[in-house]
Amino acid sequence: MARKRKKSEIHAGELNLTAMIDVAFQLLSFFIITVKPVDVVANLNVFRPSPEKTNTQDASPAKLIRIQVFPEGFVINDRDVSVRQLEALLVKLAEIDKNQTILIMCANASPHEKLVEVLDICAKVGLNNLSVVSSGGY
Amino acid sequence: MRRQKEEEYLSGNLTAMIDVVFQLIIFFVCTVSMQDKANDESIKMAMAPHGEVSKDKNPLEITIDVNKSGVISISRQPMTEGTLYSVLSKVAAEYGAANVPVIIRGDAKTKHGAVRTVMDACAKAGIWKIKISALKEKG
Repeated sequence: MARKRKKSEIHAGELNLTAMIDVAFQLLSFFIITVKPVDVVANLNVFRPSPEKTNTQDASPAKLIRIQVFPEGFVINDRDVSVRQLEALLVKLAEIDKNQTILIMCANASPHEKLVEVLDICAKVGLNNLSVVSSGGY
Repeated sequence: MRRQKEEEYLSGNLTAMIDVVFQLIIFFVCTVSMQDKANDESIKMAMAPHGEVSKDKNPLEITIDVNKSGVISISRQPMTEGTLYSVLSKVAAEYGAANVPVIIRGDAKTKHGAVRTVMDACAKAGIWKIKISALKEKG
């Protein structure tokens, strides 16, 4: 009799363990699946024309929209503008043609966030043909 | 007696299986967190709330970090302009320059000159499609 009881106890213990492991696995897989880092990174697409290409583009500057980025501010087609004015102008440009080439000339000394700011405005208004060139010396 | 032996045999198998499954889980958890550590976390990227989020990750993509003081690195490995160019041109030669997405993670406060160095190296290697990384919201 004593032997029989012992056997049934072991059996009960094993059953409990299996259930616990099952639950633990469920929890583990649940957390592994749900803990996904939130994607907070945006990617802004730009083109970097090779030096030869830039030269040919410079030959016909009339058709291009040129945005210059300086540490102090922005210049669009030789006009000083604030961020708001720039955005208003770009909204108008985007209404005409979203695929026109925007040439963004960034000064070496300007912080990277200024360039990102311009790219962000372009992404907001839907302009998608952006070329970034660097103006040296500044 | 025979039945008891069978039960022991069964439970032994279960233990081994659980061990293996745990090992697999631990392996995957570790490798997933290791992927994120390849990026330099000291870089504070600029904000771009309107930029689009890239949905699918291209396994060929190269992420180039530019930190606050203008040091260029790939996967925490600092490199000079020459090394960067040789890396990029090798990848471009192997897979085709148009197929290699280059992502620049630049610190908001870094000067454009450092980012320009990276862009020039890309252009020299024939890669003219570049993505500039930015934060969509404050993290």
